[in-house]
Amino acid sequence: MMNCTEWQHRIDAYVDAELPPSDLHAFRAHVETCPACAAMTLSVTESKAAIRRAGHRYTASPELRAQVFAAMKRERSEQHQPLPARRERPMSRQEWWRPTSTAWPRWGIAIAALLLVVVGLFLVTRRQQSTALAELVDLHVADLASANPVEVVSTDRHTVKPWFQGKVPFTFDLPEVQGSPFSLLGGRVTYFHQEPGAQLLFRYQRHLISVFIFRQTAELSLPASFSDQSSSFRVRTWIQGGGLRYVVVGDAAPAIIQQLSDLLHVAQ
Amino acid sequence: MKENSDSGSEFERLATPLFDSLYNFARWLSGDEAEADDLVQEAFTKALRGFASFTPGTDFRAWIFRILRNTFLTSRTGLRAKLTDSLDEDEGEIIAVTWETPESLAVAAATRDALQAALERLPAPYREVILLCDVEEMKYKEIAEVLLIPIGTVMSRVARGRKLLRQSLAGERPGWSASAGKMDE
Repeated sequence: MMNCTEWQHRIDAYVDAELPPSDLHAFRAHVETCPACAAMTLSVTESKAAIRRAGHRYTASPELRAQVFAAMKRERSEQHQPLPARRERPMSRQEWWRPTSTAWPRWGIAIAALLLVVVGLFLVTRRQQSTALAELVDLHVADLASANPVEVVSTDRHTVKPWFQGKVPFTFDLPEVQGSPFSLLGGRVTYFHQEPGAQLLFRYQRHLISVFIFRQTAELSLPASFSDQSSSFRVRTWIQGGGLRYVVVGDAAPAIIQQLSDLLHVAQ
Repeated sequence: MKENSDSGSEFERLATPLFDSLYNFARWLSGDEAEADDLVQEAFTKALRGFASFTPGTDFRAWIFRILRNTFLTSRTGLRAKLTDSLDEDEGEIIAVTWETPESLAVAAATRDALQAALERLPAPYREVILLCDVEEMKYKEIAEVLLIPIGTVMSRVARGRKLLRQSLAGERPGWSASAGKMDE
């Protein structure tokens, strides 16, 4: 005779309709006479239904659905293509590349598929990169809008640099801005995709320019070196100093952004 | 050639009804929309190209779910999850699951949001078993085929996964940490 504990170990299997027939009758007979086990069986049954409802959570976008099914059709029609007719003689050197009327659809499809993959990869990368860039521009704008754009207020790089020690997981060098048209206003710790980084604020005439420094991570999907002038903000980014990602964001002229970038390069 | 196009339409006939389920599972596995999109596309392509290796009459759903999951495991997120989600369990042994009254009602009484959050907190090896068992309503044998684990392990993970969900929703401090994916009963 099994006790309740032993029956309780079978509740999950019973609810999943996985109890062997040999146990099934005995289990039901026990549950009919035991309110505790009956309540637990009911609770697992209800839980299973609740999990099923909660688990149906995500729906694919119509675009993805269309893409997957189009790819499936493409793959099928590729398989449909008749094999090129056997040729009477081996192709000469001059004509091996020339698509024949029966062979060219395969070439075409292969090239089209390759193009699709290349363009697709390019678009995906572009999307990730422009998202990351847009987020950094947002960080810059949000910072300017905040009441305290900088946490350490100092024009002295020998004050600003040590302030970051222990706050960000890397060290970096700051350029000497004396004699340049730029002035250092200060810096703050910022976060990008949970990664702490340094944000330095420079002034050029009436323009404020942020310099972000992060450890280069996979999440920070930006091209190795890049400049974007499409929006009203100019962005320059590059990697230097053993995997540090620099991003300069500001509304000054491209040449000015370039000049500050050069100064930062020299500092290393 | 005829054989190929027939197998293509056969694949489409079998795979089309599973598209939504596969996508839902991919999102739960990866936790990311863009990644789930890539996973589903890659899994469909792999499955179609490898359809010749599928034995007709066997379980197509288990086969294509296995391809999707393997695709995930070799992805960046999948490899990372693998490193952090090691289970200290006796594989194949059915673990005694104890019952406490307050927690027994916790899952059914939880809101949909709370339940989804609790599922997210569940260590991945339990979460995937619960999703396949309760959401996809697969048999233990089918789940064993998807995950390539013994049926006994499926049973113990179903029982422990539900126990962890109950504890998590009953607001207890269960003896497991979601980040390490380990538990001790």
